[in-house]
Amino acid sequence: MTVKKLSGAEIVVEELKNEGVKVAFGIPGGALLDLYEVLYNETMIKHILMRHEQCAAHAADGYARVSGQTGVCIATSGPGATNLVTGLATANIDSSPIVALTGQVPTSAIGTNAFQEASTFTITMPITKHNFLVMRTEDLPRVIHNAFYIASTGRKGVVLIDLPKDVQANRVDVELHPGDTPPGYKPNIIPNKVQTKKAAETLANAERPVILAGGGVISSGATDELRNLAETLGAGVVTTLMGKGAIPETHPLSLGMAGMHGHIYANRALNECDALLALGTRFSDRLTGWQLDQFAPDATIIHVDVDAAEINKNIPVDIPIVGDVKLAISDILKWLEKECIRDNSVWQKRLKEMHAACEECICDVWRAGSSTSDILIKELSNILDSNAIVTTEVGQCQMFAAHYYMTREPRTFITSGGLGTMGFGFPAAIGAKVAAPDKKVVDIAGDGSFLMTCQDLATCVENDIQVVVCIFDNRYLGMVRQWQELFFDKRYSQTHLGITPDFVKLGEAFGCYAERVEKPEDLKSALNNAFESGKPAVLDMIVGKEDKVLPMIPPGGGITNMIGTERCKHV
Amino acid sequence: MQTRVISLLVEDNPGVLTRMSGMFTMRGINISSLTVSPCEKEGLSRMTVAIKGSESELEKVRKQLSNLIEVLKVVDLDVHESIIRDLCLMKVHTRNTEARTEVMQLAESYNAKIVHASFDSIILELTAEPERIDRFVELMKHFGLKQLFRTGITAIGIDY
Ligand SMILES: Cc1ncc(C[n+]2csc(CCOP(=O)(O)OP(=O)(O)O)c2C)c(N)n1
Ligand SMILES: [Mg+2]
Repeated sequence: MTVKKLSGAEIVVEELKNEGVKVAFGIPGGALLDLYEVLYNETMIKHILMRHEQCAAHAADGYARVSGQTGVCIATSGPGATNLVTGLATANIDSSPIVALTGQVPTSAIGTNAFQEASTFTITMPITKHNFLVMRTEDLPRVIHNAFYIASTGRKGVVLIDLPKDVQANRVDVELHPGDTPPGYKPNIIPNKVQTKKAAETLANAERPVILAGGGVISSGATDELRNLAETLGAGVVTTLMGKGAIPETHPLSLGMAGMHGHIYANRALNECDALLALGTRFSDRLTGWQLDQFAPDATIIHVDVDAAEINKNIPVDIPIVGDVKLAISDILKWLEKECIRDNSVWQKRLKEMHAACEECICDVWRAGSSTSDILIKELSNILDSNAIVTTEVGQCQMFAAHYYMTREPRTFITSGGLGTMGFGFPAAIGAKVAAPDKKVVDIAGDGSFLMTCQDLATCVENDIQVVVCIFDNRYLGMVRQWQELFFDKRYSQTHLGITPDFVKLGEAFGCYAERVEKPEDLKSALNNAFESGKPAVLDMIVGKEDKVLPMIPPGGGITNMIGTERCKHV
Repeated sequence: MQTRVISLLVEDNPGVLTRMSGMFTMRGINISSLTVSPCEKEGLSRMTVAIKGSESELEKVRKQLSNLIEVLKVVDLDVHESIIRDLCLMKVHTRNTEARTEVMQLAESYNAKIVHASFDSIILELTAEPERIDRFVELMKHFGLKQLFRTGITAIGIDY
């Protein structure tokens, strides 16, 4: 390795390129002038100027979730960094790999309440996997390499690097591209053979096996293995919200999403199974409900996760397996070759019948035409290709999408699962489109959520990033309204959104294609117009003001206590 | 609830203490004592954490600690297989000769050192197991404690 004299900012850019970074989302500022000076001439890294730092983080997150590569976002010191916070927390809780670079006041001014000083290092400590405050330019090569290594291995997550102005400006002799990694960081990747053997035996002997697939299946790239395992066992597969796409939801063994807004049959399968293989999931309360005695009470629970801290955290586990999901499934499959798999056709028949009955109920609802939101999702699901990417905002729109959108490929359903961040979907769609320019990208938005980050329509138009925002325009903070309707006596406190803005005009003001969709039948042509326009687009879809996402597990309930099941006549 | 002692080997970076205590706060874990000190290896520090909790809580703490990037090693110390020490400095009122004599006698029986004496008070130093210090402190309260300082525990495993 050769020693070169470089400025800190030059080192940062050299190391980013060495880590394979092709694109960064950010906004400059006083504490980042040195870095942006170097980026000015840079051809290998495309910088996309966002209009809000929260969007920069969400875009980097969307990019990471779609591509599997670490996303990069950049913000200046003080307000720039604090604006990033929501986006970083959103990515970290969903184990999405991001490296965030923030400017900081010069080292000599740290702690003086200097202009635009905020203690980014301490603010972001609890919402990142790790963070660095770099005090010496010489440390930059090692820190940047470690940041990417930590973000993208083990349980993936967010790493932030805080860069004081003088650390960027100083010129030092350095050796680039160090290979060393932090001494205390050794992710547990390789699953224990004794445990995977036990898992295989349990699954082979199960009468009623179910696989629960979480986001870890997608992030470890284990979807082929999962499908293979499900077919080998004849096990039903339910997913978490983050696991949508782990198995095609059109697959005969797929039971869709379980949990609070999941499918009845998925929740019943969890309740009735005698062996549960949970893969890359953290058993969040949105999945399990609050009556844990209803959650797989008869099952031997096998839990595979790369993060040992997730095992036995929320649900007591019989067979813990710490390691990479893909490797664990491969091992289980190998052990299964030696096992004789018990006939479970009765169980498979029951799952199929429940599934079919539920479809029947859904069709009843659609025939009645009483709720437009779910029909629109069904339409979207029919219109979009299986490789199209759907992102979501948060609220009813998100849960309608989770429930009715048929996800067919991994990394095509992008949603804020853990933090539930309104305003995530649209900037995440920007990142998604940048990561996959050849795929169609649609944000399933709520009218409330979209207003939180819509200023980045400017970014889309300017950079020719063609995402289509489909606004579920119910003029309500609908999900909160639904809770008020069901549990607070219809007292709609602060959930009505009034009549402004006109979303079509808003889209047009930014230079987007925009159209109002009054009826679900008109969605197809509107979407067609949007894609044909070649421009970013805003579709204002009028939906039933009081549509509700049902059935659901009420607060305090367990997975078999779903309410709103009157419609579920056939199950 | 039992007191558990965890010994950690951590990178000696600025912020590592904040990260550590932040983790405890974030997970709702109450720590009864936390000490940091240099150790035999350059660039590393040793931390001794005492927490009150059940076995399963301890298990969770151990895993969360291991997850911190700057933590190299987490060892659960078995209280019976470790040497555990706390250091205490206290200023005790000795208003009259009688009190003074009594304090000095008790100090001697506890192996506490008299590190300073003035007309109306004595400063004592005691290094011992925390429970022994607790008992000594209780005794000294009868005379009137002016000030009490404890370092928190540090511990070493016999076999590890
Ligand atoms: C940033 C943020 N603030 C507040 C909330 C609480 N919240 C959850 S859903 C919701 C309403 C969302 O409204 P909208 O985007 O219109 O979607 P809808 O439910 O109407 O489909 C709110 C306010 C949140 N999840 N995120
Ligand atoms: Mg709404």
